[in-house]
Amino acid sequence: MSKIIGIDLGTTNSCVAVMEGGVPKVIHSSEGRNVFPSVVDPIKNIVGDVAKRQIIINPKSTVYSVKRLMGRKFKDASVQTDQKLLPYIVKAGKNDMAVVEVEGRQFTPQEISAKVLGKIKSDAEHYLGEPVTQAVITVPAYFDDSQRQATKQAGEIAGLEVLRIINEPTASALAYGLDKKNAHTIAVYDLGGGTFDISILELGDGVYEVKATNGDTHLGGDDFDKVILDYFAEEFKKENSVDLRKDPQALQRLRDAAEKAKIELSSSMETEINLPFITQGKNGPLHFVMKMTRAKLEALVGDLIAKTIEPVKKCLTDSKLTAKDIDEVVMVGGMTRMPKVVSIVKEFFGKDPNQSVNPDEVVAIGAAVQAGVLSGDVKDVVLLDVTPLTLGVETLGGVSTPLIQRNTTVPTSKSEIFSTAADNQTSVEINILQGERPMATDNKSLGRFILSGIPPAPRGIPQVEVMFDIDASGILNVTAKDKATGKAANIKITSSTGLSKEEVEKMRQEAEAHATEDMEKKEKIEAKNKAENTMYVAEKTLKDIGDKVKAEDKTAVQEKIKAVKAILDTGSKEELETKTSELSDVLQKVGAAAYQTPGTGDTAGAGAGKPGEEPKTEEKKDDKKVEEGEVVS
Amino acid sequence: MKKKTDNNKIDQHNEVEVWKGKYLRALADYQNLDRRAREEKDEIRKYAAMHILERIIPVVDTLTHVQKHIKDPGFDLAYKELWAVLHEQGVEHISVQGKPFDPHQMECIEVIDGEENIAVEEVLPGYTLHGKVVRVAQVKVGKIKNNPISE
Repeated sequence: MSKIIGIDLGTTNSCVAVMEGGVPKVIHSSEGRNVFPSVVDPIKNIVGDVAKRQIIINPKSTVYSVKRLMGRKFKDASVQTDQKLLPYIVKAGKNDMAVVEVEGRQFTPQEISAKVLGKIKSDAEHYLGEPVTQAVITVPAYFDDSQRQATKQAGEIAGLEVLRIINEPTASALAYGLDKKNAHTIAVYDLGGGTFDISILELGDGVYEVKATNGDTHLGGDDFDKVILDYFAEEFKKENSVDLRKDPQALQRLRDAAEKAKIELSSSMETEINLPFITQGKNGPLHFVMKMTRAKLEALVGDLIAKTIEPVKKCLTDSKLTAKDIDEVVMVGGMTRMPKVVSIVKEFFGKDPNQSVNPDEVVAIGAAVQAGVLSGDVKDVVLLDVTPLTLGVETLGGVSTPLIQRNTTVPTSKSEIFSTAADNQTSVEINILQGERPMATDNKSLGRFILSGIPPAPRGIPQVEVMFDIDASGILNVTAKDKATGKAANIKITSSTGLSKEEVEKMRQEAEAHATEDMEKKEKIEAKNKAENTMYVAEKTLKDIGDKVKAEDKTAVQEKIKAVKAILDTGSKEELETKTSELSDVLQKVGAAAYQTPGTGDTAGAGAGKPGEEPKTEEKKDDKKVEEGEVVS
Repeated sequence: MKKKTDNNKIDQHNEVEVWKGKYLRALADYQNLDRRAREEKDEIRKYAAMHILERIIPVVDTLTHVQKHIKDPGFDLAYKELWAVLHEQGVEHISVQGKPFDPHQMECIEVIDGEENIAVEEVLPGYTLHGKVVRVAQVKVGKIKNNPISE
C-alpha cells in the first residue's frame, strides 16, 4: 500500500508531491525547500543546491538543464543551439543520441536525470517513512515519444516504476480540479526559470487533450533578473565609474539583490536596495543604495513580458480558437507571481487567471492528484464537516466546561472524568451546552439527562465518565457512566451542527464582545469553587485529626474557615483568593504538626453531606491527574 | 433468486473492502502526520531561531564591513557584544580558510590561482546554529595555473 509520488522534473528546478488525507502535499527536500535545482555532478554524485554551489569550480562537470537534451538526437537543431550555451561537453552517443561527457565518461540525459529522481525518491521516503517505488512524472506537452520514453527510463534507473507520464499543462489543470469543474477549453501559461510554454487543452471524455503548444525555450525568470541586474550596474557605473559586474563578489550580491527586488515588488509598490561596502573605490569603500518602484520594474521588463504574447497568439491560431473560447486560464511558474504578468494575461484572455495554487508547485501537485487517482485514493474528494461551536457540559458554579472545541473535524469523540459536587450525591445531571461563552446560561442547552445510582461517597470521589461522540452525520451522542457500578445513561441529539450560519456567527460575535467580562465571571466562580473546596478539606481535616491538633492551631483554622465563609458569596475574586490561601497556609501547619505527634490511627470519615442540594457535577481536581481525551472504543 | 442474493452479498463485500481500504489509508496518513508533527516540534524547538538568524546574518555582514573600515572603540565594543550573544545562542562561524572545498558548507563564487580545490579566500562568512548550516560561506577556490585539465 505504498504511496505513488507525483514529480515535476523541471529544466531548472524539480518538485515532488504526494496525496495525504485526500489532499496533495508538497514534500520538502532534505534542505528544507519546496523545490530544488535540477543540477547534478555525476562524478561526485551530488545533486541540487549542493551541486549548484560548486558549479564555478567544475563548470564542465556540473550538469544543469539536461532536460533540454532528453531524448534528442545530437544533430537536433535545439541541441546544436543549446550546446553553444552550455559549459559542459555535449556529444553524440549511442544511436546518435545527445549525451554529456564529463571527465571522459559519457552520461545519457536519462542517467543524469535519474540522479535528480534518486534524490526525490530518498527525500520522499524520508518524509513518508516507507519505501517509494512508483511515480507519476510530468513532461512538456510538446515532448515526443522518444523524449517521453527517455523520461520513463530515467525513473527506472532511479528505482521508480513510472506508472504514467503526463503533460505539464494537464497536471496544472488537475491541480485546480478543472476537470471536475468541466472547464472545456483551458490555456496554461507557464513562465518558469528558463522557459516559457503556452498550451491549449480541451476536455474530451473526462481527459484533457493537447490542442496546440507554443513558447520560447529561452525566456524565463533568469532573463528578468538579468535585465534588473544590468540596470543596477549601469546606474552604479554612472555614479561611481565602477562596473560591479566585473567583480565576482559584487556581481553575486547584485544578482541576489536583483532577484530580491523583483520578488518584493510583486507585493510592494516600492523597494529599497541596500548593499553597503559593495566594492572598493579609489577613495574608500563604496555603497550601493537605490530605490526602485514597481513602475520602473515594469518598464524594464515590459519587452520580456510582451515577448510571451506572440507565442500565445500563434497557439490560439493553431488550435483554431480565439481568446474568448478559453474557459479557464492557469498560471504556472514563479514569474507568474509578477502583477504585470498577471494583468497582461488577464487583459489578453479577458478573464481572471487561476493562481491560487503556488505556481512553483502546481505541476507537482497535479502529478500527485493523478498519482492519487491511480492508487485509488481519489475517487471522490471527501469533505469532512466541522462542529461550528464548542460543545461541553455544565459544571459546578454554572460554568461551561468544553469537551469538543469548535472547528473540530467530525466524526470525533472525546471523554472526560467528572465527579460529584456534594457529599453523598447519588446522581448527576448532565447538561449539554453549545457555545463559546464561559457561563452555562449564556450558551445553548442542547439537552440534559440524569445518571443516578451513584454509590454515596464524599464529594469528589466518584468517577463519572462523560463521553461526547459526534458521527459523520453530525449526530451527537452523550453518555455518562459511573466507573464504580458501570451504570450508564445517554442521550442522542440530532441537531448539534444544525444551527444556521447566521446563528453560529451571532454566537461567535457575542462571545467575543463579552470575552473580558465572561472571563472575570468565570475566574470568580473558580475562586469561589476553590474557596469552598478548601473550606471542606479544612473542616474534614479538623474532624479527622482534631484531637492531634493544638487548641490554638485549631482555633486559627476555624477562624480562617469563618473568614472564607463570610465572603463566599459576596467577596471579589481577589478577596476569595487571599482568604483561601490564608486558610490553606494555617491548614498546612496543622497537617504538618499532626505528623509530629505520635499517631493513634486516623479516622476515616465521610464528611457531613448536603443531600438536599441539586445534583451538579464538579470537575475532578485531586492528586490523580485525570486523563483527558480518553478515546472510548 | 439465489443468484440475486449472492450478487448482493458480493456487492456488499466489495463495498466493505473499499471502505476498509479507505479507512486504513486514512489511519496510516494520520499516524504519519502524528509522527511528523512530533519530529517537527522537536526541530522547531531546537532551531526556532533559524528564521530570525537568516534575516539578521546579512546585517551582521554589514556591521562586519563597518568594523573593518571604521575604527571606533565604541563600535568595537558593540560588535563584540553582538557576537557574545550570537555565540551564546549557538551560532558559530564556519571555518573555511585553507580547508578543502565542501559544497555542503561552502559556495564557490570564483576560482583563482592557488592550492587545488582548497578554499583559498573567504568572501562571505558562513554560520551554523547548533551545527545546522544557517548560511553557507562564500569562498574563492584555488586551481593550479597551467594545470593540464582535460578538455
